[in-house]
Amino acid sequence: MQNAELLNEGLALMALGMGFVFIFLTVLVISVTLMSSTVRRFHPAPASSAPVRREPPASSSQDDEVQAVISAAVHRYRRQKGRES
Amino acid sequence: MDKVITLWEGSGLYNLQLGQAVMIVVGLVLLYLAIYKKFEPLLLVPIGFGGILANIPEAGLAISALDQAIEVAKPAVLQQIATALGVALDPLANAESWRVALKSVADGNASAEALRAAKYVAVNVGYSDGMLYNFYKVAIGTGVAPLIIFMGVGAMTDFGPLLANPRTLFLGAAAQFGIFATLFGAVALSSMGVMDFSLNQAAAIGIIGGADGPTSIYVSSVLAPELLGAIAVAAYAYMALVPLIQPPIMRLLTSKKEREITMTQLRPVSKLEKIIFPLMLLILVALFLPDAAPLLGMFCFGNLMRECGVVERLSDTAQNSLINIVTIILGLSVGSKLMAESFLSVETLGILGLGIVAFGIGTAAGVLMAKLMNLVSKMPINPLIGAAGVSAVPMAARVANKVGLEANPHNFLLMHAMGPNVAGVIGSAVAAGVMIKYLG
Repeated sequence: MQNAELLNEGLALMALGMGFVFIFLTVLVISVTLMSSTVRRFHPAPASSAPVRREPPASSSQDDEVQAVISAAVHRYRRQKGRES
Repeated sequence: MDKVITLWEGSGLYNLQLGQAVMIVVGLVLLYLAIYKKFEPLLLVPIGFGGILANIPEAGLAISALDQAIEVAKPAVLQQIATALGVALDPLANAESWRVALKSVADGNASAEALRAAKYVAVNVGYSDGMLYNFYKVAIGTGVAPLIIFMGVGAMTDFGPLLANPRTLFLGAAAQFGIFATLFGAVALSSMGVMDFSLNQAAAIGIIGGADGPTSIYVSSVLAPELLGAIAVAAYAYMALVPLIQPPIMRLLTSKKEREITMTQLRPVSKLEKIIFPLMLLILVALFLPDAAPLLGMFCFGNLMRECGVVERLSDTAQNSLINIVTIILGLSVGSKLMAESFLSVETLGILGLGIVAFGIGTAAGVLMAKLMNLVSKMPINPLIGAAGVSAVPMAARVANKVGLEANPHNFLLMHAMGPNVAGVIGSAVAAGVMIKYLG
């Protein structure tokens, strides 16, 4: 008798708990979506992300330059060495 | 010669009981797992060491003054305690049977007043609460330590991926099914007569499936303090085992094609959104589930300190020094619950078994939910990130990323998996609140 009661309680808690977790997080999803769209309408993201993105290409082009200089130097060094021997 | 015998009878070796010896070995195994296998070392080192300390014979580090007096005091003192507790001791029986009788009264149905009187007697003859007992009372008994840890976790959490793709919250919700399925499993086991768990204990065991250490400890300290040691050990051990437990389940439930799904790049999230989010979550908690307010309130507070950007120092303390200090004390306090008489039982095996089931079901539910969402929504969702819905931040997200990379070496799911991962933290805290509300 008591066992069946315990099982029922367990089932009830499972249904209630799972249901509540889902309801709560659904409400959270809705409010986050609303909040995000409101924020983005009235306070559009500043263009601060743009310069950050522009930086990597600048550094990579610098890398290219450095690489070109180094390879030219290596090339000349090898040629010199070849002449000596 | 008498002196030598007294010395020998006071030694640890003479008083060592089999259970204590076994628990010291258990403590050493935990230390081994932490040090050599790197199983959540930050917690298992203090827990393992605390477990060894708690089982040192005669030292009584993990018990109250009264228990200690009952265990080791002279017969005359036992008589005094018996009068204080209002128990009549059989004058013909020996001291050992008195101890047993007194212990059962002190643990059982003695009134608060009688206990206070008995404690007064014990303190008067020079016994004091053990160090670990004090740690436990302050850190876990009051609920402070898990909550401070939760604040630190909040200060370490970046809600960006979640805000960029709020629907991943559903994955965090689905993975909480592990908690409730295990609760039901524990109840079913006890109704079949295999184990003996009350509903409160079943709830505390289920929360292991939330894969969240502080939440597990908090819930079990409220609902079933007697099982706290086993539950905390199971929770942290399985969190360390996430990379072993999850991948087989994830592979079983998904096809290779599904694992290869690439997800669209997440949009950047503005600072304002990140500041509003913890406040909004707090308001929702206040409106719907005040019982989750201790956990989620501290979590939101920690997160607000991180995101608002004007209290760097506080945020830094919360996520570094403070959380470290509290982790040490929390670990030792959990260790104090690894005492032979409460830990060495069939129930502990049941908890360990149910805990791993909880993890498995949570993972499966998350993956299946992701597959379901994939059918409904236009934006593709890789089902693997559903497995990250069982909190265990950030391990579960890394596992999802790793399994995804195995299927498609160019598919980085880590940031996508962080969304359900932190959603899982919120989800398990909500589940904890529901249980405390229902049973507390």
